[in-house]
Amino acid sequence: MSYFSSLYYLAFLPAVFIIYNLFPKKVRPFILLIASLIFFYTYSKWLLVFILISALSIYIAGKLLNKLINEQNAEIKDLELEKKKLVKEKYRKKKKLILLGTILFNVAFLFYFKYLGFFTNVFNNLLSLFKFDSSFKIVRHLAPIGISFYTLEAISYIVDVYHEKCPSENNFFKLLLYLTFFPTLVEGPITRYNDVREDIYAGHKATYDSFCFGYQRILYGLFKKMVIADRLNIFVKMIFCDYNHFSGPLIFLGAIFYTILLYMEFSGTMDIVIGSAEIFGIKLKENFRQPFFSKSISEFWSRWHISLGAWFKDYIFYPVSLSKFVKKITSSLKKVFSTHVTSLVMGGIALFAVWSLNGLWHGAGYQFLFFGYYHFTLILLANIFEPYVIKICDKLKINRQNIFYKIFRIIKTCILVFIGEMFFRANSLASGIAMFKRLFTHFSFHRFGHYVLTLGLDIKDYIILGLSIIFIFIMSILKEKNVNVREELSKKNIVLRWLCYYALILSIIVFGAYGDGYAPVEPIYADF
Amino acid sequence: MEKLISILEELQPDVDYATCDNLVDGHFIDSLTILALISEIEDNFGVTVPTVEIIPDNFNSAKKIWQLIERLQEEE
Amino acid sequence: MKNVLKSVLFIAILIGLIMGITCLLLPKESIYKYGLIKTSTYEILREKENTIDAVVIGDSLIYSGISPMEIWHNYGYTVYDMAKSAQLISDSYKYFQVAIASQKPKIIFFEANVLYRQAKNKPWLSVWQDLYKTYLPILTYHNYWKKYLFNNLNDSLYYSRLNAYKGFKYINKSVPGTKLDYMHEKAKVEVPKENQEYFQKIVELCQENAVKLIVISTPNMKSWNYGKHLGAKELTESYGLKYIDLNIGNPLDIDWKTESRDAGSHLNFKGAIKLSNYIGEYLESTEEFSDKRDQEEYDNWDEAYELYEKLLLQ
Repeated sequence: MSYFSSLYYLAFLPAVFIIYNLFPKKVRPFILLIASLIFFYTYSKWLLVFILISALSIYIAGKLLNKLINEQNAEIKDLELEKKKLVKEKYRKKKKLILLGTILFNVAFLFYFKYLGFFTNVFNNLLSLFKFDSSFKIVRHLAPIGISFYTLEAISYIVDVYHEKCPSENNFFKLLLYLTFFPTLVEGPITRYNDVREDIYAGHKATYDSFCFGYQRILYGLFKKMVIADRLNIFVKMIFCDYNHFSGPLIFLGAIFYTILLYMEFSGTMDIVIGSAEIFGIKLKENFRQPFFSKSISEFWSRWHISLGAWFKDYIFYPVSLSKFVKKITSSLKKVFSTHVTSLVMGGIALFAVWSLNGLWHGAGYQFLFFGYYHFTLILLANIFEPYVIKICDKLKINRQNIFYKIFRIIKTCILVFIGEMFFRANSLASGIAMFKRLFTHFSFHRFGHYVLTLGLDIKDYIILGLSIIFIFIMSILKEKNVNVREELSKKNIVLRWLCYYALILSIIVFGAYGDGYAPVEPIYADF
Repeated sequence: MEKLISILEELQPDVDYATCDNLVDGHFIDSLTILALISEIEDNFGVTVPTVEIIPDNFNSAKKIWQLIERLQEEE
Repeated sequence: MKNVLKSVLFIAILIGLIMGITCLLLPKESIYKYGLIKTSTYEILREKENTIDAVVIGDSLIYSGISPMEIWHNYGYTVYDMAKSAQLISDSYKYFQVAIASQKPKIIFFEANVLYRQAKNKPWLSVWQDLYKTYLPILTYHNYWKKYLFNNLNDSLYYSRLNAYKGFKYINKSVPGTKLDYMHEKAKVEVPKENQEYFQKIVELCQENAVKLIVISTPNMKSWNYGKHLGAKELTESYGLKYIDLNIGNPLDIDWKTESRDAGSHLNFKGAIKLSNYIGEYLESTEEFSDKRDQEEYDNWDEAYELYEKLLLQ
């Protein structure tokens, strides 16, 4: 059951809301758990078993780590400093073994379901390069829904327990709820145990107000997806399937439309997810912060899919860049080069690891790896040239706080993002490259207007698109300026408030791009 | 403390380190700057900064960073 | 309590607004005559009255196998599919009533596969979908806003502008069917008693309205067999009706390797073109219909064809 299906927001969610409120505080988290398992089951049926096994492994490892930590603390209580270190070292080894074992076990699951097919293919290709005739059978499995998301959540939990950043959970079912909580199950955000544990286990009363507030947010998400994303999908599909027939400007327009589509689809899902959780008094962190106002690619990634970026930063970037291996390299470099260079090398190695994994996380395919390295290159280049850009700006007397300079940077970033997403959406790396080439080799506006109006969207569609995008744009500017529109609205009188709701609901129903001639966007991030 | 501030100013000018209390949350210093900062801290103050300590809360102001350094020195 | 009242009021106003917009978007004459729910449930009521030459009633075999737009393009006859997946004969009877009341077609084809289907409990998902499709007709018709907001209303295109498929569903997939000897000799399978009774009602309805009823078995490897052929033949011939079974001897020359979308259950688009042309040819052979392609009154069919061609490209 997708978050965008009427079954979810008109039947499932209200039913959970009612049942949840019928039970006393203590039982409520388990109602959420049952709802989550049912939700999982509607997608992946008996692959449920795998998530149970995986959760069990995490649970046991957490308990073991906790036990070791307690033993260690008891042992070092009255010792001197020197001896303390020795004891700590002894326990550290054991703890590390458990940690690595658990991570490996869970990553193996992920690998089996998501990457086995891709890597057999890569392996076969490699062998054939050396003229071995090999054809290992490519096995593809239907992956349990949301596996990429809950594996990352599971890893963050176990690493945090290891570092004593969060307590281990004593109740298996509670941990299971954290990992499978239905709003965040399919497309994130990737929550941290510390951030949500109080709320999801509290069994807050789901009130009339929280219900209304939650649904407000859900409506906003539905609007983004059904009026904008699904409408753009028609055009985008045409361009990406048949790019050979279209000129450079049209392909670029396709890339722009796809990027908008992706944003509306993904951030719209997040609105539904965060709204759903809000109904039960659970506050989730935002996953988007007006990404198209970014002035650089690295800023873009701190505003787009925030929880993923944060995960990679905490569990890959810093651990890798501060690992003994990288430190050894940098300390020898330091003798020769400036701090700027050494920190670049240090960060560069870590960034490479981050973006390799980030690319792969988005999908098992060469185009996704390319997508990762594309951003790696852009971020690294930006860091290498930053001091020089500052110097040039000073020489040319350009004020870098100037509004025009800022707009220039925003536009530059957007263009780079469009190109990145074009590769991301392309059917394969080869077609991505072909499309990129066409941007320049077939640069012509011949029949541009004709195609724009005949590839599934007519002038009326464009009017609706334009108006709705302007609406979302204004909302984004307000948010960027820290105006809380929802709070402002709740202060207004009931007539105005209801008018807003009705306008939103009716515009989704009437202007939504569904029914004859429209195919809805498949949930893009759900396959990850 | 002065030394720390001069390090910070060298890495990332344009910020008033005496008053700013949301260095990380306000996106004044990015992750690469934090890396450079850590390696400078490790060289100058003789401490090792473990990964666990890299949370926004520890790096949001010069004062907070200084507190972190002091705490790490005690633990050594 | 206050909150309950508020919610009820909110929903009541919402329903009122939705009803209002639905009335704006649907063909007014049809609503006036058949009511809101009926107009939206039966797609054929979107067509102008008495403009349809022939109707085909049946299950998924019909909406996968017969594309009225192909017949229009090649022969100039107006045909409409009134098909629903897993149609029950009790529903078929209602379809006959609606078709006859609104269109007065000269011929109605009826897919014999329906004769053998018996009521089962529906899966809850489809119950849910039926529910909101029936009571929220706007979900099916909302795209009419395009006609409404920017054009003047009383042009005739308004009726069928977006109705390019005329009941057909375009699914372009190909999975080869292999059970090539599916029509081998087999003992007769009787049409279930209940369904026989409904069939009698249908026959009477057609006789009263002077509609020619033709029972047809379209190519179908999975659920049709020789036993059913004998049963259907016996039943139809007992009323003196024409029965066409396109499975016997494969007169359409269906290539099951490339012309089925799901291993023999349904034709795919390639197969549908063959079957549609067969229907067109048959209608031509009766010499009862005129080619309407040049008639001004049927401009909207030409326009629907343009849209249809565009949709096929997607």
